[in-house]
Amino acid sequence: MDAEPAPVIELTGITKRFPGVVANRDVHLAVRHGEVHAVVGENGAGKSTLMKILYGMYKPDEGTISVDGHPVEFGSPKDAIAAGIGMVHQHFMLADNFTVLENIVLGAEPRAGVRLDFAAARERIEETSERYGLGLRPDRLVEELSVADRQRIEIAKVLYRGARVLILDEPTAVLVPQEVDALFSNLAELRAAGLSVIFISHKLDEVRQVADRITVIRRGSTVATVDDPQATSSRQLAHLMVGSELPTPETTESTVTDVVELAASGLALSSQDGPDLLHDVTFEVRRGEIAGFAGVEGNGQSELVEAIMGLRKPDAGLLRLGDDDMTSWPAHQRRMAGIGFIPEDRHRQALLLDAPLWENRLLGWQGNPPAGGRFWIRPQAARAEAATIMREYDVRAPGPDTIADALSGGNQQKFVIGREMSTTLRVLVAAHPTRGVDVGAQSAIWDRLREARAAGLATVLVSADLEELLGLSDTLYVLFRGRIVARLDPAEVTPELLGSYMTGAAGQEGARFTTGDAAGEEQAARADTEEESR
Amino acid sequence: MRRVMKLAAGFATAAMLLTACASDDDGTDDPTTGTDGEGASGEDVQVGMAFDVGGRGDRSFNDSAAAGLDRAGEELGVTFQDLSPASDGSNRDELLRELADGGHNPILGIGYAFFEVMDTVADEYPDVQFIRIDGPPSDRENVAVMTFAEEQGSFLMGVAAALKTETGQVGIVGGNEGEVINAFGAGFKQGVEAVDPSIEIEDQRLSPGEEPAGFADPAGARVAAEAMYQRGVDIIYTPAGDSNVGTFQAAAEAGKWAIGTDSDQYETVGDPELQEAILTSMLKRVDSAVFESINTFIEGGDVESTSYDLSDEGVGYSTSGGFIDDITDELDDYKQQIIDGEIEVSRTE
Amino acid sequence: MTRLLGWWRRIAPTLVALGVALAVTAVFILIIGENPIAALVALFDFGETPVAQANSIGVWINRAAPLFLAGLAVSIGFRMGLFNIGVEGQYRIATVVAAGLGAAIVLPAPLHILVITLIAMAAGAAYAAIPAILKVTRGVSEVISTIMLNAIAIGIAAYLIRSPFVDPELGAGENVATTRLPESAHFPGLNELFGVLGLEEPRRPVHGFVVVAIVVGVVVAVILSRSRFGFELRASGLSALAATANGISSRAMVVKAMLFSGALAGLVGLSDLLGSAHRFQPDSFVAGYGFTGIAVALLGRNRPGGIALAALLFAFLDRAGPRLQSEGIPPAAVTIMQGIVVLSVLIVDEVARRRLRRREERRARAQDQATTPVEVAS
Repeated sequence: MDAEPAPVIELTGITKRFPGVVANRDVHLAVRHGEVHAVVGENGAGKSTLMKILYGMYKPDEGTISVDGHPVEFGSPKDAIAAGIGMVHQHFMLADNFTVLENIVLGAEPRAGVRLDFAAARERIEETSERYGLGLRPDRLVEELSVADRQRIEIAKVLYRGARVLILDEPTAVLVPQEVDALFSNLAELRAAGLSVIFISHKLDEVRQVADRITVIRRGSTVATVDDPQATSSRQLAHLMVGSELPTPETTESTVTDVVELAASGLALSSQDGPDLLHDVTFEVRRGEIAGFAGVEGNGQSELVEAIMGLRKPDAGLLRLGDDDMTSWPAHQRRMAGIGFIPEDRHRQALLLDAPLWENRLLGWQGNPPAGGRFWIRPQAARAEAATIMREYDVRAPGPDTIADALSGGNQQKFVIGREMSTTLRVLVAAHPTRGVDVGAQSAIWDRLREARAAGLATVLVSADLEELLGLSDTLYVLFRGRIVARLDPAEVTPELLGSYMTGAAGQEGARFTTGDAAGEEQAARADTEEESR
Repeated sequence: MRRVMKLAAGFATAAMLLTACASDDDGTDDPTTGTDGEGASGEDVQVGMAFDVGGRGDRSFNDSAAAGLDRAGEELGVTFQDLSPASDGSNRDELLRELADGGHNPILGIGYAFFEVMDTVADEYPDVQFIRIDGPPSDRENVAVMTFAEEQGSFLMGVAAALKTETGQVGIVGGNEGEVINAFGAGFKQGVEAVDPSIEIEDQRLSPGEEPAGFADPAGARVAAEAMYQRGVDIIYTPAGDSNVGTFQAAAEAGKWAIGTDSDQYETVGDPELQEAILTSMLKRVDSAVFESINTFIEGGDVESTSYDLSDEGVGYSTSGGFIDDITDELDDYKQQIIDGEIEVSRTE
Repeated sequence: MTRLLGWWRRIAPTLVALGVALAVTAVFILIIGENPIAALVALFDFGETPVAQANSIGVWINRAAPLFLAGLAVSIGFRMGLFNIGVEGQYRIATVVAAGLGAAIVLPAPLHILVITLIAMAAGAAYAAIPAILKVTRGVSEVISTIMLNAIAIGIAAYLIRSPFVDPELGAGENVATTRLPESAHFPGLNELFGVLGLEEPRRPVHGFVVVAIVVGVVVAVILSRSRFGFELRASGLSALAATANGISSRAMVVKAMLFSGALAGLVGLSDLLGSAHRFQPDSFVAGYGFTGIAVALLGRNRPGGIALAALLFAFLDRAGPRLQSEGIPPAAVTIMQGIVVLSVLIVDEVARRRLRRREERRARAQDQATTPVEVAS
């Protein structure tokens, strides 16, 4: 006898075809009661399609969906919600000028006759919040809340509608490390209460940390389900995902030359209230060198990048490009002089989402031949260059006239990197170049950075991914509260030591940057800079 | 950008619908065809008329002309067609051409703004008799211009206001600063001063210069009048065409007086509440001028440019409502002095 | 075949929208108790005699040219997310200044016209510079400032006509106006062209300035699609943040776009001024092109070609106004029809845009999930 109850969700042999392509092929997935089940796979492997099928947004061409052992058919998300399935989208769908309470009940308003019964709703929300440790304050306006708070509202919204199975689509993509920890403890509460969570991600470390079981999807099919994540290494998982060896960011021999390409001295940037955003930042980047900047987010990295790119005017200090003083150059002059830029926010800063790829090819380089120029642009040349980038950087899209918004995140990032690197550059400023992209794209991007380094490019690399920083950098600087607190050799530094510098606890043996006091310090530092940026 | 576009779409549509509503006040734009009358030779005459902006139904200037046209239809048996210009006044010449092409003769253009276009179109249709109400004289043979001594009628309104004011403050809310409205204002001020030079006169125009928008701005007139009444003015003279109704509303609300222009506005305004606020109206007998010129045409006479004044009742005042019955003797006294030439009223200040 | 299909995809929504607009207007005409069929016939009635037909075409052209220029001026702002309601005031100021200064200078014919045109563009741009500067230095919304400046423009224009530019030889009882432009500043009409084309010559002057409008339209189209400035303008409109991050100063673009828009607005009044009015006279000056231009730009989807078609459509409807009145349709019907056309085109357009976007996303996804990287032919 099988004592185990039927899985709360069971997908059997799901196949979904789109014109010309099979998005999901023979997918099997079983989610048990009270487990966190991770679904991992590269971008474009078919995770999202699968979840949309489960949430009633698509109909599968073949296969069955069972809830508690009974086959069901979902015509729309409404049916899925009725069956107890809820989805927390990657991009939140909240009304900013409504309160938390109003957002949660929106669309499922409690009624007492014709009147809205907010009192009853408030009671339920407070109960839910209490039970799962969500810490919601019903009367706050959503616009005042942080990203993490908003995510919790989305979760509460789903719970309010009676979900027993929550689908979280890349929930950690928008969160900082402490918020990730908080989210995971929320998930633990949910699990303890007997609810099931489907956790979609491509961040293998996180997945191993939080999931009870992991299902891996590759090229539209489920290739394995791992029952004991802790006993499985990230490398093994990654191997399952990409079907090949996991790439490492390690650079080979040093290509650093003596020629200084970019130099900053005494850069300072004050804020209207609170401590300086940048203080006496001095460094040099030589040809063939990758200078990595580590730091907990909000310690001056963004400001440093903006100062180098000419988007923010420093209050003091000098910036030199080769032999030229470029401190007073406007942003476009810096680009024309050969500084490439990969901004941290791909959607908002790097791309014109509503414009075709060939126009995006021009963005930032509209003044540089052959596609751009002093007065005229050449659309045909831009189209040809966009096509070249798509080919060389494996950007999967129908063609140069495709709207940028139609591409997946990884493809967008590959396109941005291709754009920046396909001009003859002297300096590249890369902020989080592999954030939010899948393993395959990540390794391709790392390869490109290494190639460019070997060809003599001077690179400023800002990243939150320590592995990336340690593996790629020739020199590693640590920023803490707007100051460079350490200059390290990545070959010798340990993650522990790096962490202690990043949290301002340098020198104290055993200080770690994700726990205890250090975490508190980070929080304080972050709060400071958030204040300032307002 | 999308948000801007949506905002813009809403704005544009609202603006268009507003102008549509504004220019179509009470939907009386149907071509009114005169019924067969008992008149002898009028039946084969087709009269055309092109209004000024605002068209039929402005309860003032255009309606006064329409009244003359309607009367010609009834009494002389002419058939007629009348057209109103687009709200921006851009197609006045086209209206004249449309009427001329439709075989209408004579063709009347109501308002100063037909000044240049009528001369132009008259050259294109030399066999058609054109008649313009208001404006400077024309040297074309087939254009007759009917003008009015607005300053004389306005003088009497000034007298009436000066006799009736209790606060010693009177005002003008005019459409713009054009020649015609300046004549209204100048006459009114001379009339006030003739009675009592110590009375204060406020003069406000809804549009600067010759800008015609002030004749179609009841809301602006209302605001201007309200402010004047609050400052102690108790009688406002309002030569502002379509905008007059705004002044009347302000007067009715404040319990003060307003003096209408062009038509007997006590009769045309319709609303009993507003009627109570209309002391009198300066009559500019556009209706008579229209009727008489059509009559002259039918009788085969030469329609000649004419200037109407107090002596031929071309301008005058109304007594509807009976609010000025107590001062008609004095008014008539002044009127006679003007006719006799003892008082000369200037068109300019 | 594919090209034809693509073209059809773009044009079909507009045709649907036009059909909807026509139907709604027909219902409106039925409601006021008139015959929609008669109205439709009147709409397309260009007159019986060849002269009348030529006249009608002339009216159409004369109306379309300023509408096109106004729509173009508005669209420049729209392209970068600026709502320039101030075209109205800008062209009024520009026309007064052009009329006043144009009458004061003596130059041979073609040069005189050229100088007046440049003066008008400079005046329009200068007046548009005010909201631009207010926006970049003080953050004042251009919507508010341009609306207010429209009102101020009426006052400034009235002052200019009275004081510096007044015609010293005004006739008796005449309202003030600027001095008449000399012969050398009269833009040659297109009347004779009608004869060359085998048509009757219209009796009214047909403004030759429409040729300038067409040339300007082509130049603007090229600037928008082929120039670096045009690209930066569009980029700023699509995403100010991305443009800024990529070295396009949004402040500079606001100023440039407003100046460009204002310069185009300066041309709006020249068609009438140089073609037939020959002086600025407030009673005969046609106001309102700036506002109608907003609708024209929307209808033309901010593309010069589309704006030209939209201006032709609006002018076509305006032209029919007197004819419709003869059929008993109030003149407001034309305005209402124009409003409905714009609304239905925008709604249908939005629906079509979303469908197109979904299609693109599906295609990109399909591409992404294909097992092999796809060769992209360039």
